[in-house]
Amino acid sequence: MTHQKMQKGTILEIIRMSTEDGPGIRTTIFFKGCPLACRWCHNPESISAKPQIQWIQTSCIGCGICVETCPEKALTHTAEGITINRAVCTDCGVCTEECPTTAMELLGKKWSIPDLASEVVKDRVFFEQSGGGVTLSGGEPTLQKDFCLGLLKELRGKGIQTALDTCGQVPQSILAELLPYVDVLLYDLKEIDSKKHKTFTGVGNEKILSNAVFAAHFKKTHPYPKTLWIRTPIIPGTTDRADNIQRLGDFIRTNLAGAVDRWELCAFNNLCRDKYARLGMDWPYADQALPERSFMEQLTGIAKNCVPQTSVCWSGSTKLNQNTSTGLPDKSTGVPLIGC
Amino acid sequence: METVLSSSNKLKEPAGLSSRIQWLRDYYFRGTERAWNNEFTCWTTGTPWDVIYNELTFYIVPETYTLLGTLGASYRQAARPVELHPDFWHWPLVERRAWFVREVIVNCVPQEILPGDLLAGARFNVQTSMCFTAEGSKTWQKLVKGKNGARAQMKRFHDHGYGNAGATSGHLIPGYERLLSLGWKGIHAELMSFYNALNKNERTGPKGAQLRAMITVSTMARDLASRYKSLCENLAQSEPDAHRRTELRTMAANLSRVPWEPATTFWEAVQALWINHMLVMTDENYPGAGVSFGRVDQYLYPYYEKSSRDGMDREWAKEILKCFWIHANTAYDAMIRNGNQGITAGFGQLVTLSGLGAKGLDMTNDLTYVILEVIDEMSPILEPKPNVRLHQKSPEALLDKIVDMIESSQGAPFLLNFDERSMAGMMLEARKAGLADLINRDNVHEYAPVGCLENTMVGNDRSGTVDNNINLLKAVELTLTGGKDLLPFTDPMTGKTESVKQDGPRTPDASFFKTWEDFWRAYEIQTRYIIQKCVDLYEISESIRARFFPTPYLSCLVKGCAEKAKDITQGGAQISFVTLEAVTYATTVDSLLAIKYLVFDKKACTMQELTNALAANWKGFEVLQAMAKNRAPKYGRDDDEADELARKVMQLWCDETWRHTTKATGRRFRPGMLSWNYWAGDGYVMAASADGRTKGQFLSNAICPSNGVDIKGPTSNANSVGKVLGGKAKDGRGDWQDYFNDLPNGASHTITFNPSILRDPSHKDKFKAFLKGYAHNGGTALQINMLDPGMLKDAQAHPQDYRHLLVRITGYNAYFTTVGRELQNEVIERVSHNKF
Repeated sequence: MTHQKMQKGTILEIIRMSTEDGPGIRTTIFFKGCPLACRWCHNPESISAKPQIQWIQTSCIGCGICVETCPEKALTHTAEGITINRAVCTDCGVCTEECPTTAMELLGKKWSIPDLASEVVKDRVFFEQSGGGVTLSGGEPTLQKDFCLGLLKELRGKGIQTALDTCGQVPQSILAELLPYVDVLLYDLKEIDSKKHKTFTGVGNEKILSNAVFAAHFKKTHPYPKTLWIRTPIIPGTTDRADNIQRLGDFIRTNLAGAVDRWELCAFNNLCRDKYARLGMDWPYADQALPERSFMEQLTGIAKNCVPQTSVCWSGSTKLNQNTSTGLPDKSTGVPLIGC
Repeated sequence: METVLSSSNKLKEPAGLSSRIQWLRDYYFRGTERAWNNEFTCWTTGTPWDVIYNELTFYIVPETYTLLGTLGASYRQAARPVELHPDFWHWPLVERRAWFVREVIVNCVPQEILPGDLLAGARFNVQTSMCFTAEGSKTWQKLVKGKNGARAQMKRFHDHGYGNAGATSGHLIPGYERLLSLGWKGIHAELMSFYNALNKNERTGPKGAQLRAMITVSTMARDLASRYKSLCENLAQSEPDAHRRTELRTMAANLSRVPWEPATTFWEAVQALWINHMLVMTDENYPGAGVSFGRVDQYLYPYYEKSSRDGMDREWAKEILKCFWIHANTAYDAMIRNGNQGITAGFGQLVTLSGLGAKGLDMTNDLTYVILEVIDEMSPILEPKPNVRLHQKSPEALLDKIVDMIESSQGAPFLLNFDERSMAGMMLEARKAGLADLINRDNVHEYAPVGCLENTMVGNDRSGTVDNNINLLKAVELTLTGGKDLLPFTDPMTGKTESVKQDGPRTPDASFFKTWEDFWRAYEIQTRYIIQKCVDLYEISESIRARFFPTPYLSCLVKGCAEKAKDITQGGAQISFVTLEAVTYATTVDSLLAIKYLVFDKKACTMQELTNALAANWKGFEVLQAMAKNRAPKYGRDDDEADELARKVMQLWCDETWRHTTKATGRRFRPGMLSWNYWAGDGYVMAASADGRTKGQFLSNAICPSNGVDIKGPTSNANSVGKVLGGKAKDGRGDWQDYFNDLPNGASHTITFNPSILRDPSHKDKFKAFLKGYAHNGGTALQINMLDPGMLKDAQAHPQDYRHLLVRITGYNAYFTTVGRELQNEVIERVSHNKF
């Protein structure tokens, strides 16, 4: 137990009153580090397991303190603002501690299990009223397996409902260890074609599919997890093929029968474009338009036909109608979610 | 389950209105173009020394300060003389005033009924003579306008950033329920028996005068109703439409009974309620601010139920109520030519709906829903302002209705009041003031809010809910300077600059403080000082009002006044607190947190450097300012350490407030937090603050965290608010159940949500759960706002104020202000197009 208390996890962010990461009102913990490198990733700052520095232009007052304090001389003050020489920067975080505005930000902070658990149970009342709880997301929480397990146990001990949001690229033994402490499993199935999966994410999908079967079986034969939601990102020119949805649906119907409570198709969005720029990364989807609403509905129709016994839905933003100059409400518009 | 992501939200429009109501509503909104309006008419005794404007009641409205002289003069100039009773000048002031107001409204002001209207009682806004003798007028002029008079002292207090205070009208719930069941006839009989019980000496003294004045006005509503009855009969005679003719004849029949006799039908009850209510505004010469109705869905319910049983159609009940709604809005006509709605849009004739009853039962009934439908179909409309009382056991159907209305109105067309937390505060005040006979476990559920959210008991309580508004932040400034203004005051009218004088206690030079505790001790002293200063200022206007401005009609409607033969303005009400409203709470807490962080914890600057930075309005100290804003801890993030200091600040000023009582009227001070609009205006008066705010930026509003700092979202914001109010008792023994609440008057709290939180049934459920969670962990009252494109555009222009705006799409999260411009524009476009 003492060992567990000493353990630290690398956490990107904690979002409270999340309404998008499982049932009810949730506090979502974004873990840092992911075994996949999806080319469309919306949270690129979560891929690397290590803490990373970023600079946020809108918060910067140009005082130059970061440049002066950087022990590696990795920062320069240019006309465009602060540039980080990634080859030199060790992500030590000294500049982020000295920055008066928090424009220099360290992505990824160390948390102990007791501290993190007591932080995320603060909304207990709201969880209870909504059937919500805490979601472990990322990144890939299972990459920090011991921390993840310790945290799940701690939360279970406090009577908090837990959700695990996983990409499934994880040794089965780890999954078997974690699942008894998971109330809601959010499981990503992105691409049915393993070759394509490897192209898009860096790994084939064999382990992901077999783990899905394992998790579904586990759910049916054990008290936990109680709920299983499958989520599929609909990425233009990538996973958004009718045949992908059709075959994923066939897979779910055939191999996960009776275990899936919900299948959600998540529309691509482009709001993360600036995150890539800030991290000094290129993003192949920078100029990609959002999907049409009718297209999302069409894919949802295909999905529904595949798994008539399962609840199917889609979420996210869709393309703005260009005829908005008429001033008429545009029914094809999705709503961005802005909580404050 | 299907997730539907778009809804075609439009600007809310009224719906389901009959042609009658549609016409009345449209007519109302024609404003100054109307042939009829309810503008002040002014009436004088005709003496050269007459005074027709009780300016004290506007001392809490800084926007009026430059107009006080003009308004007083123009009301006098416009005043028409009233032929006085031959004995008029032989009577004491309170009887003169009673007779005069009665004479004006019954015999001088014309009576009219608008086409199709189902309720009588149109003009009520008057400015009547204060009925002074020559000597009284001279004394009043000196006390109010003298060199060191009430006006000058009030202005000095405000100019130097302390806030404002003044004995204000309205802001209570008269005993309307009792009046409906007794009728004025019953009240009149009671007054007679109280008068007859006086001995001879008492009769010739102030008690006799007070009761005779109350007896005089107790027939005012009857005689006015009789005028309207004749009018209805006359109109019926010339009315070509048979249907309307019948309506007018029923109105005449109603008016021949009520408000003199007890009401027997729903229509009669609403008619009586309206006349009884509008005459309070007549009596006080004050158009409605905070004269509130209390729990209308409870006390009108027996009449509603009886009439429904007798065949009244539900829609007809709504038709009557909609007329009532229109009438309430005519309060705004008072100063209609100053602008469409006069000086202020915050009149706050509050109706309370739902809430707990005896034995922990929920009191929602069909009338609750009828009234919510009326609000929904009439909105947007200004008055009466609704406040829905929620609690842990509020029914799902009520929550569903509320959430639907919030969605369709793009924000809540009502305030939400939370019973358990509110009742804990009422129990606290009972304990503090030894009022267990009047407020206790068995009746505390009968409380209701007035004005906006100020909790009081009903029909026996005037607690001066908006009379004192103090900027807690001033104590931080005085601590830094050892009791002086940080900046010299320059009069904007004359351009003259005053030299800085010692004002508060000479606490030690802050630059020598060795520890945070040293600073805190000095801050305690300065907090005591500013509260004492406010109490002293209030005493001036309170004592003048008690001496010169009796309101005998209102006194008839508040228990305690007749029993004690004492006017309500003299402290006659059974429950007679006066409230100190703290303004700038979060700015104060955040400033203290920043001082502790910058000077003592991080040693980023010396105290002198910080004071210099504030005096320079942070110019040349931008790095320090950025640290204060971004690195120092803040209240409102559910950060236990920061909230602990916030709690200390709360306890300090509350304890100090309870220590005071008015001398002239014996009213105990009680704490509350309602900032009205001061947090905006006083931002230009107060110097820069240590939390990083520059002079001219808004201060924090009521109990809300400072603008933009609640970056942890609505649940953490709510948790912080609940904690600083006292939270919950670990052993379950709070003041009400396990709840504590240091602010019996209540605390104004606003949270802004994105419309997408209500986009589909499953999200609506989550929002409902938030409200239920708020009932457990949050404050006493909540205003729900919805994000609009204007706000997002402002966030683009002032990102530092909007660090809390979070953009979330499945699997993705970022703060709005950190998203690039182009994508921000896209987000704005989306919000816009969903709205329009």
